[in-house]
Amino acid sequence: MARIRVIFENGDPERVIEFDPARAPFQHDGKPGSILDVLLGHGIHLEHACGGNCACTTCHVIVKGGGKALSASDDSEEDLLDKAPGLTPTSRLGCQAVVEEPDAEIVVVIPRYTINQIVSEHGG
Amino acid sequence: MAVEYEARVARIVEHAPDTRSLFLRGPRLGFRPGQFISCLLPVGGETLIRPYSIASSPEEDDLEVCLNLVPGGLASPHLLRLPVGAAVRFTGPWGTFVLDRAPEAEAVFIADGTGVAPIRPMLRRALATATRHPLRLLYGAADPERLLYRAELEAMAREHTGFRFEHVPSARLRDEVARRWVDGDADRCRRFFICGVGEIVPALRDLLRRAGYERRAVQYEKW
Repeated sequence: MARIRVIFENGDPERVIEFDPARAPFQHDGKPGSILDVLLGHGIHLEHACGGNCACTTCHVIVKGGGKALSASDDSEEDLLDKAPGLTPTSRLGCQAVVEEPDAEIVVVIPRYTINQIVSEHGG
Repeated sequence: MAVEYEARVARIVEHAPDTRSLFLRGPRLGFRPGQFISCLLPVGGETLIRPYSIASSPEEDDLEVCLNLVPGGLASPHLLRLPVGAAVRFTGPWGTFVLDRAPEAEAVFIADGTGVAPIRPMLRRALATATRHPLRLLYGAADPERLLYRAELEAMAREHTGFRFEHVPSARLRDEVARRWVDGDADRCRRFFICGVGEIVPALRDLLRRAGYERRAVQYEKW
């Protein structure tokens, strides 16, 4: 079984999901087996304003551990990440980062804000 | 959680039997040309989250979304069935494919099909803030009759001497981009804004970047 430990920057309690990557997809948005797919399929909300189509940055997560068990990012993901607030060297889009190892141990942080919420708050 | 809004369908414009614009009237939303809203659609006992580019400009009262029927899709049949007066819940604005003012370089907009939706307000903004640099729109559609906003785009081209609008068949879009802006000259200072559905978008992105255009000079949105 694979595990994802989810840490919320807004202070919500941590969650740990155990799942079998071979059983993906767990719902219908994002790449099957992606962090977004796993979280949504296990009752954890992660914004995905574009429906998980790699067209926004609202599912931005910071991978704190186990990143090698995830699929590599491509140009489309990297182009969007460039515009994500709070970008880190281990940032990923939840809809694109697929858990590829059956016994992966992954730790992700869900940032507090998305760029779009910031824009909305300022009426931009 | 994102803030949710509710609007009503104030007007429907049918561009073609399978393509419509819905004009949503509700809270005035501040947005940047090119952004989209994310509709929360009650379909089949669950809520589908589906993005739709805003085809209107921030200065207008109603939000216009332009969509076509996606074969086998769940969300587009639902939206295309909505009558005037129906409620639509959404969040937004979202997205980083935006243009706030005309670039300080020749700007080339490339749209394929309904990909013209976010390009339209970007183009209007670019024309309103135009510099001495040319503006181009290359618009891919199966045939000229399928061009959305054709009369408006042609009027823009008449009014603004620095703006040229051309239709090409979608199947020839890649070749036409290569002919004009890759093989045509050695100028690599242009800025590109590309929107469409499917693999044509990253194909154009890769074509232009590999030809020497700066990565950030090629902005795109793939639906």
